[in-house]
Amino acid sequence: MRLKTFRGGIHPPKNKLTALDAIRPMTIPQVVVIPLQQHVGAPCQPLVKVGDLVKMGQKIGESKAFVSAPIHASVSGKVKAIGLVDGALGKKSMAITIENDYQDTPDESVSGPKNLDNMTPEDIRNLVREAGIVGLGGAGFPTSVKLSPPSDKNIEMLIMNGVECEPYLTCDQRVIIEETDTMILGIRAMMKALNVSHAYIGVKITMEGAIEALHEKILNEKGIDVVPLVPKYPQGEERQLIYAVTGREVPSGGLPHDVGVVVANVATAWAIGRTLQTGMPLVERIMTVSGAVQNPSNFTVRVGTKIEDMINAVGGYSGTPASIIVGGPLTGFAQFHTNIPLTKQNNGFVVLTKEQAEPGEMTDCIHCGLCVQACPCRLVPHQLVKYAKNGDTTGLEQYSVLNCRECSSCAYVCPAKIPLLHYMRVGKNYVMAKRAEQKK
Amino acid sequence: MDELKLIVQAPPHIRSPLTTKKIMFTVVLALIPAASAGVVFFGMRALLHMVLSIASAVITEFVLQRLLRKKVTISDGSAVLTGLLLGMNLPVTAPLWIGVVGSAFAISIVKHAFGGLGQNFMNPALAARAMLMAAWPSQMVQWVTPLDAIATATPLAIAKAGIPDTATLPLLWDMFIGFIGGSIGETSALALLVGGIYLIYKELIDYRIPLAYLGTVFILASVFGADGLNSGIFHLLAGGVMIGAIFMATDYVTSPSTASGRWIYGIGCGLITIMIRFWGSYPEGVSFSILLMNIVAPLIERFTVPRKFGEVKKK
Amino acid sequence: MNNKYLKTLTNGLVTENPLFRLVLGTCPALAVTSAVENGFWMGVMVTFVLTCSNVLISLLRKVIPAKIRIPCFIVIIATFVTIVDLVMEAYLPAMHKTLGIFIPLIVVNCIILARAESFASKNAVALSAVDGIGMGLGFMSALMIVATFREILGNGTFFGFHVMGEGFPVAKIMVQAPGAFLTLGLVLGAINLVANHKKAA
Repeated sequence: MRLKTFRGGIHPPKNKLTALDAIRPMTIPQVVVIPLQQHVGAPCQPLVKVGDLVKMGQKIGESKAFVSAPIHASVSGKVKAIGLVDGALGKKSMAITIENDYQDTPDESVSGPKNLDNMTPEDIRNLVREAGIVGLGGAGFPTSVKLSPPSDKNIEMLIMNGVECEPYLTCDQRVIIEETDTMILGIRAMMKALNVSHAYIGVKITMEGAIEALHEKILNEKGIDVVPLVPKYPQGEERQLIYAVTGREVPSGGLPHDVGVVVANVATAWAIGRTLQTGMPLVERIMTVSGAVQNPSNFTVRVGTKIEDMINAVGGYSGTPASIIVGGPLTGFAQFHTNIPLTKQNNGFVVLTKEQAEPGEMTDCIHCGLCVQACPCRLVPHQLVKYAKNGDTTGLEQYSVLNCRECSSCAYVCPAKIPLLHYMRVGKNYVMAKRAEQKK
Repeated sequence: MDELKLIVQAPPHIRSPLTTKKIMFTVVLALIPAASAGVVFFGMRALLHMVLSIASAVITEFVLQRLLRKKVTISDGSAVLTGLLLGMNLPVTAPLWIGVVGSAFAISIVKHAFGGLGQNFMNPALAARAMLMAAWPSQMVQWVTPLDAIATATPLAIAKAGIPDTATLPLLWDMFIGFIGGSIGETSALALLVGGIYLIYKELIDYRIPLAYLGTVFILASVFGADGLNSGIFHLLAGGVMIGAIFMATDYVTSPSTASGRWIYGIGCGLITIMIRFWGSYPEGVSFSILLMNIVAPLIERFTVPRKFGEVKKK
Repeated sequence: MNNKYLKTLTNGLVTENPLFRLVLGTCPALAVTSAVENGFWMGVMVTFVLTCSNVLISLLRKVIPAKIRIPCFIVIIATFVTIVDLVMEAYLPAMHKTLGIFIPLIVVNCIILARAESFASKNAVALSAVDGIGMGLGFMSALMIVATFREILGNGTFFGFHVMGEGFPVAKIMVQAPGAFLTLGLVLGAINLVANHKKAA
């Protein structure tokens, strides 16, 4: 069977140190810090005050907006503070700090397992919304909204993103291997909510153990198929995944539902399955801690656990840490310090050494064209850099800078060590500013 | 908790181990077989030419950058590469100062006067060679046979002089090994191919340009040549096409960066080379064809920008 | 009073040298600088024409109607160029032949028209004459500077006299078109470097 793929892309070293490590529960932290915005869309408003006693799974923040998702307490205990904290994305955000009483008392609203057969698509969407489930692949898009595509779009299939193309991260891999039943339950729920009969799970052939684990389980599942993919970065990027599986290109400025597809991460499916099985909303997820630490591991982590607690859980650093990246090393966020809470959107963090993180000496662009070959969106990065440096919005729009998905493939390969992604963002800013001006 | 000194930068946080310096020096490495062949065939004077050219290039760049109060970048290897390529393009009989003057011109005028690394509009080594040909024409065309250094004409000059008797043309095998008159580094097709295949394997040059260039030369020479396929092979092995297609035309700065652009560029080079060789007044056309294509490369790139992923054709 | 004339003179020679600072008259500059002697005579002719036309235009500046001033200037300039052309042909026929078409082309030499338009039509006669002399001599020295490089490197001679030894490998390119562009470009660059350095100081 010919493997499916897309044009362009790069092959960074995989470094999947934790690929074969089973998920283990992370030591429950003394304090959790739960930001009020862990999703794309309107931030939540707090439903509790300082001093309130909360139970695990209790809804503590909500927004009335359509594109939003509520947040829940991930431990039982007392609300110690509600205020601004440093977030993983480099900005301060409002968060609720809860002191753990280590009882894990479930909230009254946690009603126990649900039977998927008795639920309508509307029921499923409400469940997903109330459970605060968002895209766990990193984007954090409210899943209930994703399961409610506009009525004029004909959705033909569901594609599950099990690619996990970033180096180091293995949380999705372990979900596929160890939590296969829960994940498949979640996939069935999504298929029912979308009223589709086909789901495809995209998996790289080099993801050890994944295809075997899946084949075993889906033999009896009608309508769910595994699609083996060429191991290439960024195969996990939504548009490249859709192209590889279906051959369809999502139009620039469009969304997957424009080509009849909905894409979701396998961990998101796992979260839905988990909620169906236990009734507990999204209060914990699988994360990977990897890189220059003593014991790289895959953990089940309560939402709001701080990075510094997780560093302790893996036995501290191995050598001198030079860079801590929340997410993967190609698209993740570098941190200033470790007193940062991890949220539903984060799939873990990687500690890098100086040799790895140091960008190296920058030279002038030698026009080698490696960036052009690498770009999965078929842009011409070196030309866009020239336009971005000059603020030339005509050139930027002509060369479609807004098409850039910020996958960093170009910046990874550049031998002149030019910060290409940074310039892409500069270019996008110029174009967006110009468009805002014109709208006035 | 100890105070951590953390690097905070925009993504990506890891990078490919390939650097500009590594690229330049790997290309120099790939030229060593052909450079060595030049020394074997033409003696120590050939080595002297190459050493002097490299030294002149590096020193010129150093002095210039110091004078202009810019960062000195001689360690990135680009000056070394330019110097080596120029040295390999000289006839061994040329006066020793010619490589020095040529390298200085290549680095100061063709490269730095236009903006330095990445900004030259023509291949510096080739432009310098063209200048040397215009300035000192008689000193640049004294060819000798390898090893015994008897004055000779290059195979192309022999071919140009008239429909030759096959007895006067060197054997194709000799041309493949490099046993013919010519510039120091251009005679041995074998040594050049070894270097070229290494670079393609290392993904440092795009196979499209040499394939398009050599393919076009072979096809056109076979069609228009007097001897069919033999003419095709003759023209592949004669003159500077091998070194031109593998090492000169593939210079990053002066060739298009798009895939289809590279095909067009390679074909264009081949076309002009054959036109000059067959119907022009010079016996050899490689330098001029590459220089001409260098000039149109940005235009080719502009017209071969790929269709963006997801681009909707305006109706 | 003296200061004004001196200033105008040095303006044309150095500060606003027509070839090196105003970058005017580059066409003859590229063409005739293959030998210093050619540059010298071209300079002489341009100085003569420039000075005479500046004087006449200045005398007539209140009379020439603004709307048709350019054709009037051209007629005046052409008169003097014709004089110079005929004198050259009579007394220096070899040089006349060498310079060829570039002698009549002095009519459209930008320097002369520019000075007529920007100086002679707005200033008194004596000052305009000094400006003409200054600009003309400035042009001549500029031509000779460029020609020096080209002739010595491209021919081994200076003003026809062999100055480089027998074995000197002359760079033929220098007396051809590419050499002209290269030399002019490099000289201009060097002068800009010095001028910018002075400005920054």
